[in-house]
Amino acid sequence: MKPEYELLDRREFFGFVTKAAALIGLAGGARARAQGTPNPFAYDISRFQKTDPKLVTYEEVTRWPVPYKQPRRLAIGPNDQLYVCAANHINVLSPKGGRGLEITLAAPAWCVAVARDGTIFAGLRDHIEVFDPQGAPAGRWETPDPKSWLTGLAAGDKDVFAADSGKLLVLRYDRSGKIIGRIGRKNEERSVPGFIVPSPFLDVLIHRDGLLRVNNPGRHRVEAYTFDGDLEASWGKPSAAIEGFCGCCNPIGITALADGRVVTCEKGIPRVKIYSPDGEFESVVAGAESFPENAHACTDLNDCVNGGIHAAVGSDGRIYVLDIVAGNVRVMKRRT
Amino acid sequence: MNDSAATTKVPVSRRQFLRNGARLLTLTGVAVAAAELSTRSTHAAWVWQIDPEKCLRCGNCATQCVLEQSAVKCVHAFALCGYCQLCTGFFTPEPNELTTAAENQLCPTGAIQRTYVEDPYYQYKIDEKLCIGCAKCVEGCNRFGNGSLFVQIRHDRCVNCNVCSIARTCPGQAFRRVPVDQPYLLKTTSR
Repeated sequence: MKPEYELLDRREFFGFVTKAAALIGLAGGARARAQGTPNPFAYDISRFQKTDPKLVTYEEVTRWPVPYKQPRRLAIGPNDQLYVCAANHINVLSPKGGRGLEITLAAPAWCVAVARDGTIFAGLRDHIEVFDPQGAPAGRWETPDPKSWLTGLAAGDKDVFAADSGKLLVLRYDRSGKIIGRIGRKNEERSVPGFIVPSPFLDVLIHRDGLLRVNNPGRHRVEAYTFDGDLEASWGKPSAAIEGFCGCCNPIGITALADGRVVTCEKGIPRVKIYSPDGEFESVVAGAESFPENAHACTDLNDCVNGGIHAAVGSDGRIYVLDIVAGNVRVMKRRT
Repeated sequence: MNDSAATTKVPVSRRQFLRNGARLLTLTGVAVAAAELSTRSTHAAWVWQIDPEKCLRCGNCATQCVLEQSAVKCVHAFALCGYCQLCTGFFTPEPNELTTAAENQLCPTGAIQRTYVEDPYYQYKIDEKLCIGCAKCVEGCNRFGNGSLFVQIRHDRCVNCNVCSIARTCPGQAFRRVPVDQPYLLKTTSR
């Protein structure tokens, strides 16, 4: 009996299967190509994420974790002890990371400073809590505005300065806790341009030259003020290149070496750099490749407020770098 | 005898079989068409949109749309913007200076307009005719800024394909159907 349909022979069957597979492969390949093709519109900052080794003048000696998560700031006190504020705690640590005194606070501390006599100042969001060197409460200083957001502290022998990211100024307290000045408010008559602080990282330090140094992150500058609020100098330029300050708002933290050179900390492209007292870029303490966790903080969907670095300088010139994201302190020593 | 004759199955002729088959096919076709129409009416109530929280700024929106110029455009949530002098969505990572000179601009088509507001604030506005939806500015804004720039499918341009060709290649799975009466997924909070 003659079959109603012609049956495929093996050769035709395999030919058909091969063609079908090729078609499916082409379709899938087109999709894969679209997914795997390098982005022709890529925002490429890879060249800034690797630091020229010739510029790096410090090396890491050791690193150790901080006792609590969410560290914010660190300060150096007498005997080179480190004071780290993290969550609701101030921890006093030895230069090797050994735990000492611990102060528990009612709310998260955003900044900390230690006076030469050992008095500890903890900046909570809207007030300052004062402790004696043994950690006993010694006072509470209020800020005048509920919108205050204290993010930087500097303690002198007679004055304490509090950088207020919420009100865009630096409050000057006397040692009794009375506000005796406001520094950095926009004032055209005094040629004060005003602080621009898109994210809460205003910082302040008392420099050896007797002036304050305050970072102005929105203007990508470090500014020098007298204690009375006169702007004396400023330096810094916006750029992702190593000599500039990157992103919308940097530097986010400042400290100074004993010889007056200024150490700056940046987020986004996390890096710690050294500038001359006049603002000339000199060298790198640690580049972006040193902070892989921190570098990711601003690229995923987390708030960039959670990223950042802060640094403090010991009496021996070592720089202690607090990685806020990784939750550790790196001890950096100058290369010989 | 008659009863037994009545219950006896009459063999179906080939003609009858084909006729019944044709009827069945016709009915099936009508049912399928009705189902398709009902699906289409539902489909028209949904449109494609990009979830800005999932967008990876891969650039596919500029190259994979079936339209000659993509239906995806950058949009700006002014309420989230920092009005930065150095907008990393506007300027290249290493600008010569902070001016609108072409060499300083990040956008490949110059689709962002920068206007002075007051020292040191600037407003950034997207020229949609020039925007190709590449999301380069979105990446710059998200990496260093508040994330106020993001991409959306503009429904005055989108032809609402059954299978969106960009969605097929989206590595972040950021495309999804949204109700036509709520066609945009706008950002209301910064990153």
